[in-house]
Amino acid sequence: MIFVYRPGVGKTEPAGVEKMKVDNVFGPIDIAVSGLRSQNKQMEIVSSNIANARTTNAGKGEPYRRLEAVFKSDSDEIAGVELERITRDMGDFSRVLDPGHPEADENGYVQMPNVSIPIEMMTLTQATRAYQANAAVLRRYQQMVETTLELLR
Amino acid sequence: MSKTSIVELLEAGLKAEAMRQRAIANNTANLQTPGYRRLNVKFEQLLNKAIESGGEFDFEEFEPEFYHPNNTAVKADGNDVNLEVEVGELVKNSLRHKAFIRLLNKKYSQIERAIDLR
Repeated sequence: MIFVYRPGVGKTEPAGVEKMKVDNVFGPIDIAVSGLRSQNKQMEIVSSNIANARTTNAGKGEPYRRLEAVFKSDSDEIAGVELERITRDMGDFSRVLDPGHPEADENGYVQMPNVSIPIEMMTLTQATRAYQANAAVLRRYQQMVETTLELLR
Repeated sequence: MSKTSIVELLEAGLKAEAMRQRAIANNTANLQTPGYRRLNVKFEQLLNKAIESGGEFDFEEFEPEFYHPNNTAVKADGNDVNLEVEVGELVKNSLRHKAFIRLLNKKYSQIERAIDLR
């Protein structure tokens, strides 16, 4: 996934010199969009986890392992967010007594995915709110630039 | 100052914005089309090159062009359109458009004032 925002591409500028560049006018928009995209991805991961909350067979003879998003920032400068990778939660599976289940072992226990619905619902709410926040930044910034453009009337 | 007038420059900018708007509309419409690659408009780079290559250039021949950016994340079905990115582009485009229109308006009212001077 590529949504890297690079502030001002001045080649002649020595490193470390911070300068206002015309190039940066749309910087906040790119950053807000990167936030929207990553929260969108987070939402996708949550829906995969919830959909597979009771998947006892995800291949490899194991139940479904919960997925987790890892975000990173491009650098320590002003930059957007990026989805670094999606990791698998290596936490323990839960064991449920269900002797009638085709996947049950000789004691009648079935291994269930390590997905916890309450946690997923919390992540879902967080992703929704973060998406809204990024959308709010985008809208506010648009209004800000429009205020500047009002001066041109 | 080169011979290219402000009105001509703004006109070229507006033309590029119109093309960009079409590209965005096209991209959004093809959000789910398998194999579709998003379109973008090359304008600023071309304009920069034209200006740097030496002052004057003919606006009649200056054309922004469509291109397929190749640094986008392609989905499993070969499509690389992302709704959020298009929304961002749309916002940028409308702001740029507004700026150009306002500047053009300013320029015209300047001319009008010069004509009205009695």
